[in-house]
Amino acid sequence: MPFNRTDVVHVINDEFAGEATKRVLQYIQTKRMAGRPVAGIYCGYAPMEIIRAAGAVPAILCAFANKTIPPAEAVLPANLCPLIKSSYGFIITDTCPFFGLSDAVIAETTCDGKKKMFELISHYKPMHVMDLPQLPDEEEARRNWAAMIRKVGSFLEKTFDCRLSDDRIEEELRATNRKNRLMRRIYDYSAGTPPVLSWEESYELGLFAQVASTEDAVPVLEAAINTLEKRVSQGIHCGRKEAPRVLVTGCPLGGDSLKVYRIIEEAGGVVTAMDACTGMKAFMTDFEEGTDDPIAAIARRYLTLPCSCMTPNLKRLEATDGLIDRFRPDVVIDAVLHACHSYNVESFKIMNHVKERHGIPFLKIETDYSDGDTEQIRTRVEALFDSLG
Amino acid sequence: MRGIGLDIGSRTIKLVVCDNAGISVKRKEVNTYDPLALCREMLRGMDGGRIIATGYGRHLLKAYVPCETVSEIKAFARGATALHGPCRTILDIGGQDTKAISLDGTGKIVKFQMNDKCAAGTGRFLEIMATALGLSLEDFMNAAGSAERPEAVNSMCTVFAESEVISMIARGSSRPGIALGIHQSVAKRAVSLLGKVTVRDDVVFAGGVALNPCMRSQIEEHLGRSLVVPEDPQIVGALGCALMASDS
Repeated sequence: MPFNRTDVVHVINDEFAGEATKRVLQYIQTKRMAGRPVAGIYCGYAPMEIIRAAGAVPAILCAFANKTIPPAEAVLPANLCPLIKSSYGFIITDTCPFFGLSDAVIAETTCDGKKKMFELISHYKPMHVMDLPQLPDEEEARRNWAAMIRKVGSFLEKTFDCRLSDDRIEEELRATNRKNRLMRRIYDYSAGTPPVLSWEESYELGLFAQVASTEDAVPVLEAAINTLEKRVSQGIHCGRKEAPRVLVTGCPLGGDSLKVYRIIEEAGGVVTAMDACTGMKAFMTDFEEGTDDPIAAIARRYLTLPCSCMTPNLKRLEATDGLIDRFRPDVVIDAVLHACHSYNVESFKIMNHVKERHGIPFLKIETDYSDGDTEQIRTRVEALFDSLG
Repeated sequence: MRGIGLDIGSRTIKLVVCDNAGISVKRKEVNTYDPLALCREMLRGMDGGRIIATGYGRHLLKAYVPCETVSEIKAFARGATALHGPCRTILDIGGQDTKAISLDGTGKIVKFQMNDKCAAGTGRFLEIMATALGLSLEDFMNAAGSAERPEAVNSMCTVFAESEVISMIARGSSRPGIALGIHQSVAKRAVSLLGKVTVRDDVVFAGGVALNPCMRSQIEEHLGRSLVVPEDPQIVGALGCALMASDS
């Protein structure tokens, strides 16, 4: 139990407490039954606001189970990111309920592995691949990404037989901003010493907030804030007061790779911030409102997402500085998935930056979805905490 | 206060007992499929004193015996600096893992790297190669020391290296030369691991493999620095635990 009491009311107090995926599945099923089309997505760069402006519901496709990797390895090389293998395995075994519900799939050219895997799944459902620029600060990159967003908009108009309008798109980006502001307020409860929001709850909230419309998310998020305020007044908190505070950055973690967070907690640490697309990343930056080109505003904001597929990704260092200032971690752990070369190479820069600029101990963990390296990870995390003196 | 330190490794379990007068007990046993039973046997008769355990079996022990646990990194840092004050870097090559640790001037851990996912570059690698050459570990070590010229072994993987060695024997390569080639392989991996932490004098070489003088000289040659090998390099972790346990 992560809290200092046993009778803690879950931050989303519904019948899905503790079951992040089931909650969003039911949400999407309900919307679909009410006639809304579903757009399956894999990545933080997928333009949610366009999907919603098209009247559709986004569905984050399964990518986090070790179980679907063996079937995937019949086709894909074993030496490949587990997220990619797992995603592909879900499709070919037809075990991703979100993919089953999807009327269309939106993909991006984020990394080599994903790009090539998308080729192998393009025949299952109507799929549109967006060409993501990789030097995001260039003027051309912003223009190109805006062009790609217009293109996916046309794809959705055709596939879902709907009409997009600049007004609807502007409405959606403002709605996302409202939702993001609420999420950032919620993250304040992880920033305290000690935090009153557990990483599991943070993960659940984040997943729900990414999928749900602002209209549906606001009551849940406001109720969560009330619950968290009550915890503060009741002295309920996560972990021991002296627990080492951990900022976990790097690759998206979910399902079986949540073991990283679990092991950190078991080793006596408390995860204060999850700097990943499955964590806080989606909510940290707002869209510019009231411009005469909402698609350009959307493009600019999405290109600020500091994924390692971008170069030179200086935004990641800036984001890391911001997170360190706000969450005051004692240590930084960079979780890199096997064969993720971009995060792996970038880890060197993050390590140097964290150590030299902030003087904080740093650990890179390279892992996959199996549980075979649990003890190795545990030894390293314990040693990292030991090095705090 | 009496401090009992246990380093529950994959190949051997080391026990050290410390009190005000220094080390009173030192014991090493080859690990079995039942490390808990072996620990209990080694702890028999040791009444009084705080127990601290490290190594891969530490959490298993903690579930059954009142003790605290520390990471091997911390245990080695404490043990190495106790044995050799000016220690700033530690290289530990054990039965199934290798670690490199850099310390600051006060013995605090600055950086560490571990290889505990692959047998290459560990004691196990040497054992398997010795067997492939039909030699005892001691003869294997001596053969390497006496070789005129190394026969390079290119495979990184223990399993493939074994196949490679067997092919080399079939081709008529000299056994001492192969033995030296294998030692060089391990030395290069150790130096590569050290390259990921900050290497500063004095460098302490610990773990069972440090008992191998040929390995020591090969690492010294490839690293370009001399190593300090404690008299009993295998007990460094257990000693660190015992010292921490006896701290009041």
